[in-house]
Amino acid sequence: MSHEEYREELHTAVAQYSRTRPLNEEVWRSFAEHLHFVATADDAGYEELRRTLDQLDFALGTNANRLFYLATPPPAYKAIVEAIGEHHLRGETGWARIVVEKPFGHDRGSAVELNEIVHTVFREDEVFRIDHYLGKETVQNILVMRFSNGIFEPIWNRQYVDHVQITVAETIGVGERAGYYEQAGAMRDIVQNHLLQLLALVSMEPPAAFDDKAVRDEKVKVMRALRRIAGDDLATNAVRGQYARGFIEGVPVPGYREEQGVARDSGTETFVALKLWVDNWRWEGIPFYVRTGKRLPKQSTEIAIQFRVAPHQLFSREALAGLEPNALVLRIQPDEGISLRFGAKVPVQGIRIRAVNMDFDYGASFMVDAPDAYETLILDALRGDATLFTRHDEVDQQWAFVDPIITGWAESTEGPASYEAGTWGPTEADALIERDGRKWRKA
Amino acid sequence: MAEGVAVDTSFWGTRQSGVAALERELSRLRRAQSAHARELGRPIARASVLNLIVYAEREAHARRAARSIADLALRHPSRAIVVLADRGTREGIEQRIEMHCRLPIADGARLVCYEQILVRARGDVDDRLASALIPLLVPDLPVFLWWTGTPPLGTRSFADLLRLTDRLVVDSADFARPEMTLPVIARISDDARGRFGLTDLNWTRLTPWREIATAFFDVPAWRRFLDGITGLSVGFAVDMDGRDIHPSQALLFVGWLASCLGWRPLEALAPSEAGGLLFAIARPDGARVMVRVRPRFERGLAEGDVFGIRIKATAGGQLAEFVVKRQPDERHQTATVLLDGQRRWERTMPLPSPAIVELIGEELSILGSDRTYEKALDTLVELA
Repeated sequence: MSHEEYREELHTAVAQYSRTRPLNEEVWRSFAEHLHFVATADDAGYEELRRTLDQLDFALGTNANRLFYLATPPPAYKAIVEAIGEHHLRGETGWARIVVEKPFGHDRGSAVELNEIVHTVFREDEVFRIDHYLGKETVQNILVMRFSNGIFEPIWNRQYVDHVQITVAETIGVGERAGYYEQAGAMRDIVQNHLLQLLALVSMEPPAAFDDKAVRDEKVKVMRALRRIAGDDLATNAVRGQYARGFIEGVPVPGYREEQGVARDSGTETFVALKLWVDNWRWEGIPFYVRTGKRLPKQSTEIAIQFRVAPHQLFSREALAGLEPNALVLRIQPDEGISLRFGAKVPVQGIRIRAVNMDFDYGASFMVDAPDAYETLILDALRGDATLFTRHDEVDQQWAFVDPIITGWAESTEGPASYEAGTWGPTEADALIERDGRKWRKA
Repeated sequence: MAEGVAVDTSFWGTRQSGVAALERELSRLRRAQSAHARELGRPIARASVLNLIVYAEREAHARRAARSIADLALRHPSRAIVVLADRGTREGIEQRIEMHCRLPIADGARLVCYEQILVRARGDVDDRLASALIPLLVPDLPVFLWWTGTPPLGTRSFADLLRLTDRLVVDSADFARPEMTLPVIARISDDARGRFGLTDLNWTRLTPWREIATAFFDVPAWRRFLDGITGLSVGFAVDMDGRDIHPSQALLFVGWLASCLGWRPLEALAPSEAGGLLFAIARPDGARVMVRVRPRFERGLAEGDVFGIRIKATAGGQLAEFVVKRQPDERHQTATVLLDGQRRWERTMPLPSPAIVELIGEELSILGSDRTYEKALDTLVELA
C-alpha cells in the first residue's frame, strides 16, 4: 500500500465514523500530510521504517519522539518489540513510549513473560498498557465524584454501604471474534481488565495526588486486598454461563455454540457473576457483586452503591411498600450520568412512600459530546501521562485474582450454565445474590 | 391493523431502528428541550417516577391510553411504553417489532417532560415480545403493566411481562368472560404474593358503593343488622339488547361483602333471568343469604356498571332494607333505609364517576398489593 492509498483509506473511515462529522477537509488535508505507511513484514521492512522515521525527524524537526502503538493480535507483540530494539527504532534524542492493547498476557505467567520482553526495550514508565474503559469520561468521573466532593466519601464505607453491584452487560454475541473469544471467555475478556478496573476505582482509598504514581499505587493496594476465590469457594462465589438461542430486542439470535468458529461442545463462558470481598478496613464484610455477559437484554455498564436501610422505621408497612434502599448509581454507558434513589412521599393523603430517582444526565447538563475514550488515552500517552494506564504490578494482581478461578473452572466437570439469549444470565446467578437476601438491580 | 399501514408519526414519533437508536433519539430530544428551556431560564427536569407498559391490541385503545398518560404526566411523569400488538398469526405476516418515540411536554407544565415509546408488534411475537421491552425500561423504577382487554393467560409473553412487573393493572370491565378470567388472575396474584400487586380498575369504580354500604352500618342503631343479613341484590347495566353482559363489577361487590362478613359458599353460582345470577351463601352462623345479581338496561351507563344495591336484614324481630340507587342524572346516588317497610332515612349525595384517567392515576400512586381486593377476589373464586 502506498502512502496515498493509506491516506485515502483513513479518509473514508474517518469521514464515516468520526465523532465530529462532517469531516473538515482542510483540517484533514493538513493532518493527512503527516500520515505514512510502512509495511514491516520482515527485517527490510523495519529498516525502511527506521529510515522513514529518521527522514521525518529531519524534515519536521520532531526530535525523534516516538509513540509505538501495538494494536496487533497479542502473539505478534514479542516479535515487534524485539524488532523495535534490534533495529534501533527508538530515537537517539527524544522520548519513546509503547502502547499495548489488552489483554496483556493470558495468565499471570504469560503477563510476566510479556513484561520482561517489553522491558528489554522500554522502561516501565515508557509502557502504556491501555484499557479503554479508563479513558471514558464517566469512569474518570468516578474519581472526581468521590474525591472532589465532601459529601460522598464520608459514607463510602462499611458503616453506610450495604453492598455494591457492578454490571457490564452487552447485547452483542461473539460475532467475528470467535477465534479469540473461544480462548479468552468473559473472564479474560471483561473481568480481568474492565470489571476489575471499575471495582478498583470504586473501592480504592483516596490517593494523595492525581498523578500516575499515587493513583496507581492505590489501585494496586486494593487489588491486593481482593480476596482470592479458589477451591470450595468457587462454587458459592462464582457462576459462569453460556448463552443459548433466544431473542435480542425481538430479533432471534443463535446460541453461542451455534456461532461460526465456536466448537459445538464449547465450554467457554460468555457470562460471569462473582461475589467479591475487599479485605481491608474500609470494606470488611461488604460484598461486591459483579456480573458481565454477552447477549444480555440490554447494553449497560453501571456501578450501584446500595446503602443500608434506615435504622428505625417510623412508617407503617403499607406506607413503606414502595420503598427501596437508597442507591447511588454511576451509569458508565449508555445514558452516562449519576442517579440517587431515595424514598419520597407520594402526593396523596396519608403516608405512602415511593422510591424516586434524582438524575444527573451528562448529555443534558454539559451539552457537549464527551471525547471518545481512545482520543483521551492517545493524547495522554503523547503527553506522557500514565495515570489512566495500567501498571505492570496492577496487571499482575489482576491475573493473580483471575487465574485461580479459571483454573478451578477448567478442572471442574461441570460446564457453564446455559441461559437464554436476552435474559439476565443463568438462574444460578440469581441464586448467588438471593442467598444473601439481596437481588440484582433492574439495570 | 392491516399489514403495511403506517402509524401516525405525528402522534407516535419517528420510527427508530433499535433500542440504542431510540435512546439516542430520546437523549437528543432531551438535550434540545433542555437547551431551549435554558434560553428561557427554566431548566427542564427529566422526570420519571415509574415505567408504565400499556398493552393494547387496537390502535384506538393504544391512543386512548397514550392520552391518559399525557393527562397523568404531571402527577406521574413516566417512561410510557405503549405496546400495540397485532396478535394475528395469519400466514404471510412477518414477525416484526417496530419502535417509535417522542418526548411530549405535559399539558400545563413547561418544566416536566415524559417519554412516550410505541412498540408495535406484528405477527406472532409471543416468544420475543419481552426481549424488546426489557431494554426499554428505566432502571430502578417500578414497572406498572396496564393490560387493556382480557389478558391472554397461559401465553409466554404475558408470563414474561408479569415477571417484570411490580403492579398489574387490568380492567375486568373489558373481560369477555370475567367469571373465567378473574379466578385465574386471582391465582396469579396468589402465586405471586408479594412479588407484584394486582389491581382492577373495575374495583376502583366500586369505591363509592363500598363507602356508602359501609356507612350504613356505622350508625350504631343499624349495626346490629350487619350480622342478620338475609338478602343481597346488586344491579348492573347492560346494553339495550341485553347482549353485552359484564357482571364483574357487581360480582366484586358481592365478593367484597362476603369476605368482610365471613360468608361461605353454599351453592354454585346459578344463572338466572337474562344473564343474571341467583345463589345462596352461608353466614358464619349458618343462615342462608340469597344473592341476586341482576342485569338491566340503564340509559347513559357503561355496560357492567353497578346501578343499585339492596341489602335485606333482620335483627330483634325487625326487618331492615338498605338501598342505594343511582339517580337518573348518573351523578348522584340516593341511599335509603327502611325499617319494617317504613322509610326512616334518606340522603342523596354525589356519585363520582371517575374517568379512566383518574382511575389509573389513583392506581399508579399505590405500589403494594391491595389486600381488600385480593380478599374479595379470593372469596369470589370460592363462590364461583
